[in-house]
Amino acid sequence: MPIFDIFQRVSAAPTNPQPQARARVFDVADLYRGPVAEAPDQTAEGALPLDEKLRQAYFWIVNTAIISPHYDIEYHEPPPQSFVLGDSRSRLTLPSAQSYSSFVLMPLLTFATRRKCLFTGGPGRGKTASALLMGVLAGYPVREVRRAMVHGHPQMTIADLLGNPLPADLVAAQNMDAIRIAWRRWLSLRVKIVDEYNRIPTRTQSALLTVMGDNYAELLDHIHECPEAAWFLTANDDLGGGTYPVIEALRDRIDVVVQALAFNSRFLEDLLTRIEENIRPEEVVPRQIVFSEAELDRAQQEIRAVELPAPVRRRLEFFTSQFEFCESAGEQFEYKTKDTVRLAGVEWHTITAQETGRDRLKDLGCQTRNGFSVRVLMTLILYAKAIAYFRGNSTVELEDLRQILPFVLHDKLTADPDAPFFEQQDNAVYRTDRVGWLRKLWDLSCADYDRLNLDKDDPVGELSEEFQRGLEGLTESEVNRRITRIERVIAEWAKGRKLYGHLYDDLLKLKYLHQRYTNYLRWLKTQ
Amino acid sequence: MIVSETLAAVLRSGRETFNSQFAQARRQYPALDVVSFSAFLVAVVDPLVRAVAQMRPEQVAEVTMHAYETGLTLAGQRLVGSGARYPEISDGLCRIGVAAPTLFAEAPGVMLASVSNALHTLASTPGGRAAEWIEEMVRLANVATGSAEFLRAGQIVAWRSGLAHYRTGALSVGDTLPEKVALAAIGANNGATWTGVRDRLAADPWHTPGNVASSLRIVGRAGAFRGYGGLFTEPPQVAPYGDDFMVRSAGEYWLLTANAFGATFHRAAEAEWRSVSGQPPVPPSLKIQRGKVTWQNASVDLPLRGEISSAAANATTLALSSTTSHSIWLIALGVAK
Repeated sequence: MPIFDIFQRVSAAPTNPQPQARARVFDVADLYRGPVAEAPDQTAEGALPLDEKLRQAYFWIVNTAIISPHYDIEYHEPPPQSFVLGDSRSRLTLPSAQSYSSFVLMPLLTFATRRKCLFTGGPGRGKTASALLMGVLAGYPVREVRRAMVHGHPQMTIADLLGNPLPADLVAAQNMDAIRIAWRRWLSLRVKIVDEYNRIPTRTQSALLTVMGDNYAELLDHIHECPEAAWFLTANDDLGGGTYPVIEALRDRIDVVVQALAFNSRFLEDLLTRIEENIRPEEVVPRQIVFSEAELDRAQQEIRAVELPAPVRRRLEFFTSQFEFCESAGEQFEYKTKDTVRLAGVEWHTITAQETGRDRLKDLGCQTRNGFSVRVLMTLILYAKAIAYFRGNSTVELEDLRQILPFVLHDKLTADPDAPFFEQQDNAVYRTDRVGWLRKLWDLSCADYDRLNLDKDDPVGELSEEFQRGLEGLTESEVNRRITRIERVIAEWAKGRKLYGHLYDDLLKLKYLHQRYTNYLRWLKTQ
Repeated sequence: MIVSETLAAVLRSGRETFNSQFAQARRQYPALDVVSFSAFLVAVVDPLVRAVAQMRPEQVAEVTMHAYETGLTLAGQRLVGSGARYPEISDGLCRIGVAAPTLFAEAPGVMLASVSNALHTLASTPGGRAAEWIEEMVRLANVATGSAEFLRAGQIVAWRSGLAHYRTGALSVGDTLPEKVALAAIGANNGATWTGVRDRLAADPWHTPGNVASSLRIVGRAGAFRGYGGLFTEPPQVAPYGDDFMVRSAGEYWLLTANAFGATFHRAAEAEWRSVSGQPPVPPSLKIQRGKVTWQNASVDLPLRGEISSAAANATTLALSSTTSHSIWLIALGVAK
């Protein structure tokens, strides 16, 4: 390998130097480390921490493989410089800390966490190339990744997708067990790529759903168990432009959605170099950034071990609580949810017309037609941990959640374009900018959280903490005291406050605590 | 470009490869300049290749290839050639290369990279004395018997040449070298034993081989005003940090390591400074009064101007800063006999 091959250059560690205190050990061997690399090939497994290796992979991709000079995942340490430009007063912010391109980072985090990522965007913007790179990062030869890629098309059958029974067995077999299946190669890979998934016929999508959701394929009563894998799907237009509508359950299995941003013409020279050098980035991935299966397993464990501190988790709880509540959806408290409306098949506007009393502009819940599921919350937490890990941190920061949230909720939270929020002149842009809107939602939620002073004044939090300490040994009088306190809090809230999503969740939690104490009290009295 | 026939022959024979390498390096380092690179070939590669040709002619091509690649890397980063940031690198490579051609012929890749990197480290570390390292390495070329031994000895010499933070590592390296080489690297005379020298150096950071002084004494100043090439924009403050010191100046923080061979500063975090604040800066029996330091029945006059703004001591060293100076005064406390 020539030492000056620019396509093989991997950024030197540390790629994200941390300002915090380090162990002070001076190694005399450092004398001979410097600008001249004696042995550029650092292939020994485990030589670098895996978060560092992930960052090296990221920087190799953005610097060499995918020309994506966008820093839409912005981090700041000192306050950033920003400028207001144009008639629409667009704000350009210059990040003051290491920032990232979502188009590269999200697939990489998906790769590390073995989740499912959908690339959207017009043709020729690098969606398939990015997916291919992820396959190569997992250690598969380019040719194998290319051959194993599923290409969606309108005539695709389940056999095309999963495999074929062997023709000889079909004729000779006396029972189904005797029919052998030639499973498709892609089912056994740890990186699965489905190109243009919205061109797959609906029936075949259902077979795909089984593989995506349950990690096995079924054909003629035969089961093929698939290894845990990262999934990469592409769609030119995810909002209806495909040949077939994507079934909702399949869409729900996708963890993050990332948009291929437009090519910046100022980077044409980089394209020129590729043409002149006749280089395809996926064919020159440096060995240092290829992950073994064991390394990926370890990275997953390390990601799960990243801490989500209680104050950050509390903000996420508050944010989540805003969206499911729908006061006029049900009579019983538990059924006052948007899901009740959806299941009833009622026109959305007939429900919103009944909403009275609340400030529909300030109520964040009014901006959406749904809340989000447990699966989405789990995905959100996992990706927040993954981005914190990627940045070299052992705990999730508030900004990690803020940055990851739009990509996880992209297809999960449905905006209500008729909501008063979008009618405001400054907010009309959020009808088209989904990522911006979701970040705005988060910011508004955090501002509301601060306004309510919930970090310091959170009776439900205190009651929950008290309950968490367990019921073991609680006396009757103490239980009665707690029940009375719960009732008092509810009575206080009933006095004048209007019902909002976060209150709804808090009230249901109080009801839960009340019920648990009531049951315990009842049991206590029988002892 | 005028080079010897030896080098010219190698360049001619691999013309296509060398040109292709240059083109590739140019893409990696857009700053790579033909003139600077040619100057490196003439000033460094040519003398090295000629010296190798006399001792190990069969290795000329190998050495040339490695030297060519090293030159591209260094010139691409403007570390050699006209307007080089660190002219010590060219100078050192040339002088050490000519003095130790057999060692370069033995392991050209390792030697060229290691010597270049060491010179870069010395030249770019405030307090590092690259010229001294070059002189000593030229001398050691006749003492070391192989390239690995030579480079290990170079680690000891780097400590002696101002890289104070390598003290512990350098002493360990000395244990792995033949006594003659270790003593030559540390600058001790032939009558000494490595164990004896090593024990004295380990016990007293202000001891130098052949020097008997071990009492309370001023041993040096570290740091300077940024306008004069130092680190500080305002007079610094010191605090004890294990065997070293923590330094703060204008909201910036450093770790100061100091011993008989030099003093080096290393960027530190505010958290590190905070972790030491609150510790007693000096032992109660150490008195600093009226321009004088008194410790264990000995005293020394301080040449400081202005008020003493901070003091910090560890088992062997007292560091003092004043309100009017951008330097930190270092006082050896002496070793208990």
